[in-house]
Amino acid sequence: MATKIVQVHQKYAWKWWQKFYFMSITAGLLVTLKHFLKSAILRRQVTVRYPEEKRPLSSRFRGLHRLKKDEEGRLRCTACYCCQWVCPADAIHIEAAAVTAEEQHLYREDKYPKVFQVDLLRCIFCGLCEEACPKGAIYLDGGIPMPDDSRDRLILNKEDMIESVGGKLIGERV
Amino acid sequence: MPSMVEIFVDGLKLQVDEKKNLIDALKEKGIHVPHFCYHPALEVVGMCRICLIEVGSVKIDPQTKEPARDDKGQVIVQWNPKFQAACNTPITAGMHIRVASEKVKKAREGVMEFLLINHPLDCPVCDKAGECSLQDYSFAVGNETTRYREVKRNIPQEKIGTNLLINHNRCILCYRCVRFDRDIVGIHDLEMQARGNDTVIAYTPPPGSRDTLLNHNYQGALADICPVGALLNENTLFRSRVWWYQQNQSICHGCSTLCRVTTNVKNNEIYRYMPPEEPEKNGFFICDKGRFSTTDFSRDRLLTYLIKGHGSKSRDVLPQLADLFHQAHSLLLVGGTTESCEDIDRILSLVQKWQAKGKQVNWEYRTQPYMWRGEWDKKVDFLLMVDQRPNSNYLRQKISGFTSQEKWQEALQEADLIIVINEFAAPYSYRIENYADIEKLYLFKLFEEKSLWSKTVLLNTHANAATAKALASLPIMVFPEKAGTYIDKEGVAKKSAQSLTPAQGLLSSGQILAKWNDYVEQDSLAYV
Ligand code: SF4
Ligand code: SF4
Ligand code: SF4
Ligand code: SF4
Ligand code: FES
Repeated sequence: MATKIVQVHQKYAWKWWQKFYFMSITAGLLVTLKHFLKSAILRRQVTVRYPEEKRPLSSRFRGLHRLKKDEEGRLRCTACYCCQWVCPADAIHIEAAAVTAEEQHLYREDKYPKVFQVDLLRCIFCGLCEEACPKGAIYLDGGIPMPDDSRDRLILNKEDMIESVGGKLIGERV
Repeated sequence: MPSMVEIFVDGLKLQVDEKKNLIDALKEKGIHVPHFCYHPALEVVGMCRICLIEVGSVKIDPQTKEPARDDKGQVIVQWNPKFQAACNTPITAGMHIRVASEKVKKAREGVMEFLLINHPLDCPVCDKAGECSLQDYSFAVGNETTRYREVKRNIPQEKIGTNLLINHNRCILCYRCVRFDRDIVGIHDLEMQARGNDTVIAYTPPPGSRDTLLNHNYQGALADICPVGALLNENTLFRSRVWWYQQNQSICHGCSTLCRVTTNVKNNEIYRYMPPEEPEKNGFFICDKGRFSTTDFSRDRLLTYLIKGHGSKSRDVLPQLADLFHQAHSLLLVGGTTESCEDIDRILSLVQKWQAKGKQVNWEYRTQPYMWRGEWDKKVDFLLMVDQRPNSNYLRQKISGFTSQEKWQEALQEADLIIVINEFAAPYSYRIENYADIEKLYLFKLFEEKSLWSKTVLLNTHANAATAKALASLPIMVFPEKAGTYIDKEGVAKKSAQSLTPAQGLLSSGQILAKWNDYVEQDSLAYV
């Protein structure tokens, strides 16, 4: 069977003045000049000196994990494992334990996370843990993760993620 | 004999067995009526009212004494103004009921609201979540919000059994636990105390008992039949969540009853056994000894070949054992009641082979005093047997053993080589808590007394003081690491499923003896 070839694109036909290229080159150089004037003379830089300087993040930015406390300083997380279950990257590891009588003031229910780790090397910052949590306990509002030269230090422990008493409340972001 | 009658459910004509409970009869037809307090194995009390239905009867024309009919010729049903509890409504021929009308839905919603008045709504921390009727029905028939604005009652959680906690706030007072203990276990030790809003379930020691905690063998079953998360087992508390388990239909290894069970596996560990699917056929209850013994499969395992207590390789150990085999004239096999029929058959064929070679081979499966007393049918309670080995019945059929305990002990003394099949597998086959307690076992003391260790080869699942002492110890698979057939106390063959993945290269007792035999045969070729 003979194959019928159809030409699906046509070569762009250059106008005669376009063939000189001066127009485009000048337009490009004007943009460069504009930015040069902005930053050199008007001091309107587009880059910042990260990490000494930081940009404000969007309130929806998903960064480091934080475990929240409530108004009375009790840890919100009750080790329900919902976040561990939903995590697509298998980054969360929790070990639950029963709250003893002496620790009642530290927790809201009778079950608490004895161990709560987030492996930043696995985490893909999808925010599903935040969404799954029935207690408003975990939020990814801790800013941009910093690189490190040891794998151990890239595993967040419970202590790393707990904010000081009177920290951000449920539903509040950065 | 089922006596089938015709009933009308939401206008649908159904044939059901008159003798059955309405809830069960409808369940068979695929109609699920919510229920908390009703349990097919327990007496009906009608306490929770979630199973409310509408019941009606056909209107009879007073003149003709015939069913009255409307214009279209349909019979006219008169609906009772009051709801009735389905669990407590006997089935009668020609009865009309509505199980899903708007009125019924509204009523159930109301009941649900009442049941949840004092409930803390703490499913995220509750171990029952995922297998909780209250949770399921709350989603199915309940309301999303509550109108209750008053203070909820708050009674602290209590320990009422050696392995049982009660969270009073979650209890819906369905009376199942009380009925179970009274009617099934036969110990009347739970009761309702106080009245109205203050009612709680409490442990009330039976007369004459000085116990302060409930301590029978069915605390797991109590937590299991509790339709909510009020009764919880302490030894599994917060260890997992129920939706993580892989489930398998298998049997329990705990005693010769061989209850059918569902395994709950996570990370290659069985967390517990649960009652089987279709409990009407396969049994509603299992005992605690079986239910919670499964963690033993994953701890203190023997996973290397040992020679005089030191770790070694199969390639080094088995040739040495083959030499020993050649030197020995009389061999004695001991135990085997924990092994499957397949393994036992394999070993039996080896025994015949060895006997044909001119060796004197004996096999004795009775190793415990109760076995010599012949207490095969003695019960501990309504399920658990004194005989806590899964396959003793098969061995009893297959081999005869010695005529008396004394003869056996003499034979132990005289044998050149003793092969013990999983008899020192504590804690697995003995359920002893303390690791060192194996030294208190009858068989251990016997071996110690007669100093038999130097000619004893153990096939063992667990590493312990015995494997350290024996001449050689060979690792074998535990019950759930292989599928197999077992014969229960009544002679019924039951199949167990493989629920755990064994360590790579691990063999069952029959396989490992066959491998040993391979070395033996290689050697004899070498001698020719
Ligand atoms: S953000 Fe996503 S990947 Fe990271 S821990 Fe949460 S659920 Fe897991
Ligand atoms: S952070 Fe939230 S979802 Fe994760 S275990 Fe704690 S309470 Fe559950
Ligand atoms: S503890 Fe459970 S089984 Fe017992 S009455 Fe309460 S809800 Fe029912
Ligand atoms: S009665 Fe025996 S077979 Fe049944 S659960 Fe208990 S130990 Fe297992
Ligand atoms: S199941 Fe019928 S009243 Fe409880």
